[in-house]
Order: sequence, then structure tokens, then C-alpha cells
Amino acid sequence: MTIRKRLTLWYAGVLTLSLLIIGLGTYREIDEQLRHAHRRAPAEHAISETSEMVFEVGLPAVALGLLGGWWLTRKALAPVSKLTEAITKVHERNLREPLPHTGSGDEFDRLTEVFNAMLARLDDSFNRIREFTLHASHELKTPLTVLCGETETALRDESLSPAERERLVSQLDELHRLARIVDGLTLLAKADAGQVDLKFEAVGLDELVRDNFADAQILADPQHIQVELAGCEVLKVRGDRHRLRQLLLNLADNAVKYNQPHGRVKMGLRRTDGMAEFTIANTGAGISPEALPRIFDRFYRGDLAHSHTMDGCGLGLSIAQWIVSAHHGTIQIESAPSPLTTVTVRLPLSS
Amino acid sequence: MRVLVVEDEKKTASFVRKALQAEGFAVDACHNGDDALAAAKSTPFDIIVLDIMLPGRDGLSVLRQLRERRDATPILLLSARGEVNERVEGLNAGADDYLPKPFELAELVARVRALGRRGGDNKSPVLRVADLTLDTLTRRAQRGGAEIELTAREYRLLEFLMRSAGRLCGRMMILEKVWDYDFDPGTNLVDVYVRRLREKIDARFEPKLLHTVRGAGYLLKAQP
Repeated sequence: MTIRKRLTLWYAGVLTLSLLIIGLGTYREIDEQLRHAHRRAPAEHAISETSEMVFEVGLPAVALGLLGGWWLTRKALAPVSKLTEAITKVHERNLREPLPHTGSGDEFDRLTEVFNAMLARLDDSFNRIREFTLHASHELKTPLTVLCGETETALRDESLSPAERERLVSQLDELHRLARIVDGLTLLAKADAGQVDLKFEAVGLDELVRDNFADAQILADPQHIQVELAGCEVLKVRGDRHRLRQLLLNLADNAVKYNQPHGRVKMGLRRTDGMAEFTIANTGAGISPEALPRIFDRFYRGDLAHSHTMDGCGLGLSIAQWIVSAHHGTIQIESAPSPLTTVTVRLPLSS
Repeated sequence: MRVLVVEDEKKTASFVRKALQAEGFAVDACHNGDDALAAAKSTPFDIIVLDIMLPGRDGLSVLRQLRERRDATPILLLSARGEVNERVEGLNAGADDYLPKPFELAELVARVRALGRRGGDNKSPVLRVADLTLDTLTRRAQRGGAEIELTAREYRLLEFLMRSAGRLCGRMMILEKVWDYDFDPGTNLVDVYVRRLREKIDARFEPKLLHTVRGAGYLLKAQP
């Protein structure tokens, strides 16, 4: 029960109670007067007149009181509804926008102030985390550059035994993987801080999809995976060409990586409800229902055994999700129990 | 050829210098922007490798100063920030190439070599390496007199490799020139395409022309 309803009920109860007491009091008073008056004829008339008074004046008074109470509580609690509405809109990214406060100095105004102070502190913490990630990834790049460079320099030594060479090459591979992770982290940290500039222009999504289809076929070839393009409507979206290509390649690469030998990948582009809809489905082990909600989380690998065999950076889907949301689109994944894992990306069409 | 390496991180400067020296370049190094401007004034360099993040005067400022005084020395920018806008900003300010850190040494050497050859590129419409020919007008590839069918992407890859014949081509460089990617997509796209191309141009022929340099990139040349 909301506070407003409860208050109204209490108010109505109090009103009724007081009316009852007044009615009872009046009745006793009249009764007493009657006894003192030694049964005078017009006494009956007085009683009926009193009850008439109660009905004709009392009831409208009760109704008016109820209405007034309802209006009062509603008015008193209006700031709560406003506050609730404003708080629902609070999001990790708009912490800097304070909730509007009336300046009347009442309890709700005070509450809003306290809440705004809390938002400011939260914003500060979020910024610190973002800055930390950004600085950390920058700081990591210098030693990584040195490590990669020195390992490569060591590899130039002609006198290395094959075993030593193999060890260095394996180290270099891991260093390159580390470099990719740091690159991914830098990109996401910058995206979080709103520091990535996207170059928006009209992009023929169908061309990008066709290009991506050709690349996917090549990627799938060594594992004998069949790639098919089921429809590719001519559609234009407003977007950053490079990032959209990165998105498509990323999804195609996943569809091939998390597949099975002789499996299938099916992609398509069509228009639905005024949006461009790109789908890519693949055979393979799929994603369990428990893992699905967290699949876009950074470094989340799920229950899949690929974590050891796959050399991805663990940030691909997080980056994909960022690219889609930066284009005001949506991305979703459906998997088990269906035999196919399907990724659906919807992007607004260019007008 | 004389290269100036401007890099404040001493270890990085040191291995870059060694790698370039091993490739036959004469290398000078300095560690801040003002020294770089002074060095470029007193010595005519063929190529400058310039880090953006320098103490004091930063790399972009050095670049602008050089271009302002009409110094057209090819410049390769290095940056740990790796921002798309920074790359665009650098190229607009007159840089010739841009390489984000951490980079592969082989990639850096390949790019420096490419800058050294700038302008001296083979302008003939028919590219030739051993008995492999590529006609860039008719887009026909032949080896040993036999026609080779290529997809559009394979054609671009082969054209790029043939234009840089004898020089090591790093993966990032190939992604940039053939795919027009300015990010590392983290896939083995390049390797798989090279493998396909190798099947077409090398499998049935001798000598092998397309070589893999592990951890570094690819090389198209007649003699291994």
C-alpha cells in the first residue's frame, strides 16, 4: 500500500470517528434535554430534525473531508513521485546530472540534496575506475613495447638452438596476445569515458556484410565450415565504417571459432520495423542458459572449455556491444536449446 | 640511409636502433623534442622515427615545426596512445606513417624501409617476381605461363606483396593496406589469406616465392 493510500485511509478513519463522537454527544445532549422537558410533544420532531441534520450536513462534510484529505496527501507526496521518476532515470553514464530540487527546504528537498551528493560521489568513483583502467593500459604499453622489441631482437640471433628459438617465439606469441588485451582494454576504457570519436556517415551496410561474408568464408575454410549468406538487402545506416566492419568481423570470427568441424555459419541482412537487422548463426556447442546473460561481460568466458584453446582477448563481445550501442542499436544472442547460436544486431536505418 | 630515432624510452630507442642498424641503416638517436629539432637542422636525415609522447615538446609539435620550416623528411610516428584521432591528426600534420605501440619490430623496420623507398616505387603496370607476373591493368596473374584465378581480395594482397617484393610485410601493415583496417581485429585473417594465396601461386611451382617470417610477417621474393 502506498503512503498516499494509507494516509487517506487514516484520515478517513479519524474523520468518521470524530463524526461518530460528535453524533453520539449530540444525541445524549438531546436525550437529556428531553427528559428535563417532561415529554413535550415536539420532542420526537427534534430528534428526527437532528438526524436529518447529520445526514444533510454531516455526510457532505465527510465527503468533502475525504476529498480534501486525498488532495492534501497527493500534494504532500508529489515530490516523492517526482523523485522516484528522476531516480529511475539515473544511470552509470548520467551520474553527473543532478536530480532537480525545488529549493523549498522541506524534507524532500533535503533528501534530494543528499541523493545528489551521493550521485556526485558515485560519479567520482566511476571516473576514478575509468581513469585507472585507462592509465593502467597506457602504462602497460611501454614495458610491453620493450618486451616485444627485445624478444624480437633476441630472435635475430643466428646462433639460437631450435629449442631456444621455439621458446622465444612462444613468448612472443603470448606478448602479442597481451598487447591485444591491452588494446581492447584501452578501447573500452576510452569508450566508457566517452573519449572515442566516431566518424558518422551514410554507410551501405550490405556492402560491409558482403565483404564480411567473403572474409568469413576464408576464415572458415581450414575447418571445412560452410558459410552461407541468406539474403542481403540494400540498406544504408548512419555509422562509423571502421567500427561497423570491426563489429561484423568480430561476430564472424566468433561464429567460426566457436563452431565445430564441418559446421555451418549462416548470415543475413534484412529490414524489419524500420531497422537494419543483421543475423549470424552458427552450429557448435552453444552457450548455456546460465552463461547467456553474462556473455557480454568483459573477460567472461562462460563454462566453455575454449578458454584454454582459444587465443581471443576475451573482450570481443564487449567491444561488439559497445559498437552497437554507440550506433543506437541493439544486440542479442540466443542459444541452447536451439541447435544454432544466433546473434541479432539491429541498427537504425539512415533517413 | 640515415635514420633519426626520437624516443625518450631508452630501452625502446636502443632496440629500435639495433634493429635498424642490422638492416644497414645509419642510426642517430635522441630523447627529447628540442634535441630532435636541432639534430634535424644540422644533419639531413632520410627518415625520422618520432615518438609522440616526449618530455617537454611532444612529437606532434616537433612534426609541425619541421613541416613549418619546409623539412619534408619522411616521418614515421610512434604512439602508445593508439587513438584513431591521433593517427588522423598526425597524418594531417604531415606525418607519412603511424605505428601504435606496442609494435612488432619487424613491422617498424618494414615501414621504415617503405618510407625510404617512397617515390621510387615500381610504376610499371606489370609487376614481376621470378616467373610470377601481375598485370595491374588487366588484373591478370600468371606464373610459368599458367593463368591464376584470384578473388578481389587475393588480388589486392598479391599486388601489395609484389609491390613490396623483397621487403618484409608485417601483419598490421597488410591489414592496413589490403583491408583498410586501422585496428588489429585479432583474427588470423591475414594468415589464412596468405595460405590461400600460397596455394595458388606456390603449390605447383618452384621456387617458392611467398615466405613466412614467424612472429613478424610475410615476404615475397625469389631467393629465400
